[in-house]
Amino acid sequence: MESSDAALVSRVLHGEVNAYGALVSRYRDKYARYAVHMLGNREDAEEALQDAFTRAYRSLARCEDPERFGAWLFRILVNRCRTSGARRVRRGQTFVHDETALLNASQEHPAEQTMWREEIERALGELSADQREAFLLKYVEELGYDEMAEITGVGVSALKMRVMRACDRLRVLLKEVHSA
Amino acid sequence: MPEFGRNTLELIVQELQRPVRVDESFDRRVMVRVRRMHAERRSHFAADWLGTAVNLTRRPAYAAALAAGVVAVVTVGMLRSRPETVASAGPIPVQFVLVAPEARSVAVVGDFNNWGLGDTALVAENHNGVWSVSAPVPAGVHRYAFLVNGKQWVADPTAPRAASDDFGQPSSALVVEGSLE
Amino acid sequence: MVALVVGAFGRLEAQDPRIGNRLDAPTRKALSALVDSAKVQGIPVEPLMEKVYQGLAMGADGPRIVLAVRSLTVEMANAHRVLGAVATTDELKAAASAVHAGVPAVELGKMKKQSGLRRSLTLPFTVLADIVSRGVPVQTAANAIRSLVGAGARDRDISEFQRNVQVDIEKGAQPKAAAETRVKGAVTTTTPGPRPEKREQE
Repeated sequence: MESSDAALVSRVLHGEVNAYGALVSRYRDKYARYAVHMLGNREDAEEALQDAFTRAYRSLARCEDPERFGAWLFRILVNRCRTSGARRVRRGQTFVHDETALLNASQEHPAEQTMWREEIERALGELSADQREAFLLKYVEELGYDEMAEITGVGVSALKMRVMRACDRLRVLLKEVHSA
Repeated sequence: MPEFGRNTLELIVQELQRPVRVDESFDRRVMVRVRRMHAERRSHFAADWLGTAVNLTRRPAYAAALAAGVVAVVTVGMLRSRPETVASAGPIPVQFVLVAPEARSVAVVGDFNNWGLGDTALVAENHNGVWSVSAPVPAGVHRYAFLVNGKQWVADPTAPRAASDDFGQPSSALVVEGSLE
Repeated sequence: MVALVVGAFGRLEAQDPRIGNRLDAPTRKALSALVDSAKVQGIPVEPLMEKVYQGLAMGADGPRIVLAVRSLTVEMANAHRVLGAVATTDELKAAASAVHAGVPAVELGKMKKQSGLRRSLTLPFTVLADIVSRGVPVQTAANAIRSLVGAGARDRDISEFQRNVQVDIEKGAQPKAAAETRVKGAVTTTTPGPRPEKREQE
């Protein structure tokens, strides 16, 4: 049976450093997705994610609710992505492709599927960092507004405004691309 | 071709929610750093805040090497590598060599043995003017120097200089890698 | 804070009277303050203690030891600022050494950004400090190391580069010429390691 976050945290705090590896494995793919979309490329995303994990380890004793280690780690990552600086998009490889997803994608038009994905990433890059963050947290990570407020430190109404503007902007940007 | 309108948002989200797979080596890189932090913490707390002399009994391999007077034949050079992919912070054997035919005694002291405090200096053996000693040194970067005749500080001519002239004496830098690069 | 200092030194003397006796009260107080300051800044304390031991071993007096530790703290803080929280203690030590030798911290930051987390820069920074201390101009040295790192040179290649430059200088070569010549050879003959990918600037 898989150990809970709280059990793993407890073991780490009692000196069993290797137990932290289980926490890394548990959360790295999930949070890599956020970092990649927020920062625009895999290099920066991995750097931010590594930094978040090491910061979390360093401050582990201050994790007030070890049962919610994942959420606490995510907050560290979100903050780390904020301080990461300008979003850099590398031409030709804006994000990590998932082989299964590619296989499941439109079998008739795989190239179009790739282009569509790249267009979305570029459109994300056109959003302000605040809007992108709010959009990803709300729609991709599927957090509630209260959770988002806790993570970002921003009020709920401001977050809702950012999400709405992000959605409007993305629709416009992607419609423009396909109208051209 | 994606449709626009009400479905646009759903299509965008669907695309962005596709899993992102991270390379397996990611976990290893994180754990290298975490284990180092763990080792540093243990060293810090064991040394009781402001540090203390090295307790040889904590380093059985080190003590055994000194006691046995074993000189491992290892290529002298700045970089010592352990050919393993998983980083373990364990010490690896390093040979220190100084050619000093006129010397009466040569010792090696540095960061790895608290600069000889607590009688932890590595005492070199003389072989026709070639002084050498081997000892396990933990992974990391270490400043060190030869102490000749108990009073003269000599940098290792085969190693990079430690750019540190704080005390008016020369010293060298040793980098011991604990993981395959 | 004072109570903590007294307590800590009391324990220190109990464990190693020689260390305790060799540090007078003003020195212990000054060192405690530096250590506290380092902790607040997130700078590892172990290298500072190593500097204390080095000073004691080399017969330095209290004020000189304090000065050395203070310099190291500043150098590590500068390195920490540009390298970020992902830098290891060894990288910070080596970076501080390079800063001490005269390399601007910003140059180290450029190298770290270039290499990301794919490799440790402990050895490159150590070599950088060495060749600068042998007279290679700072910019020449920084460019050389950055070229090597950018070309994916492994630590053993960079070690060899350092040895070659050292030998050339000892034989009478101008340090700048030695470094520039040897880096060309090292970059073309290097055993490629993981090559950092170029980033496109937006």
